[in-house]
Amino acid sequence: MRSGIDITWAREVPAEPVTVGDVTVTPRARALVVRLPQAGFVWNRPVAVTVERAGAVRRVPVVDITRVLQLGLLGLGLAIGVAIPRRSDPKRR
Amino acid sequence: MTDSKGTPLDEAVSLIDKTREQTAAMVEKIFAAAQPGAVYGQPIASETYTVITAAEVTSGGGFGMGIGLGPPSRPGGTAAATADAAQPDDRQTGGGGGGGGGGGSMGRPVAVIAIGPDGVTVRPVVDVTKVALAGLTAWATMLAVLRARRRARRR
Repeated sequence: MRSGIDITWAREVPAEPVTVGDVTVTPRARALVVRLPQAGFVWNRPVAVTVERAGAVRRVPVVDITRVLQLGLLGLGLAIGVAIPRRSDPKRR
Repeated sequence: MTDSKGTPLDEAVSLIDKTREQTAAMVEKIFAAAQPGAVYGQPIASETYTVITAAEVTSGGGFGMGIGLGPPSRPGGTAAATADAAQPDDRQTGGGGGGGGGGGSMGRPVAVIAIGPDGVTVRPVVDVTKVALAGLTAWATMLAVLRARRRARRR
């Protein structure tokens, strides 16, 4: 039985490489692991793929567009929600 | 606990030990989602293209248990006095226990990696429903702030 809380923000971990012809693609993932005595939580997400071709290695990031748009909209909502009351505050005029 | 007598307390402790072992094994299964293989799917080849799916994986869970033992009960059904309960005797101890747990996991597609004659491309997967919900929430929040501001001005 574990005791205490253990939080690990893992570094990029490579998955099984895939070779097609002369191209080798290695997907990479990053995980947040929270370990509690009788509980656990894992958040694992893709980060990038490394493409190896003829000796040259190229890194292609995997962008989570859905998350970017969600956070962008949230930020926009918060920014406008803060800006409007400040602008229309008569004390600031 | 290896007491062969098998008193209720020993039985309960033994049961708790067993449950703890089982829950520890279950919690370890949650951490299987931390492997990179959980995020990337098996490559699928179709003619000139090979496709690998990439998804965000979230999983979590927890378990808990408890047990309580009371003083020996008298034949009439009432609990014995504290002084009696403190003395060791062969009368049966009353008690109860319980446990429970829960967990879940979620996966969301993030991108598709395509390996083809034109090279390797990472194509994002957009969840339109989630984006639309986020947009509606932001819009509703802004509207609520504006209305509250207008009402405050009128007063």
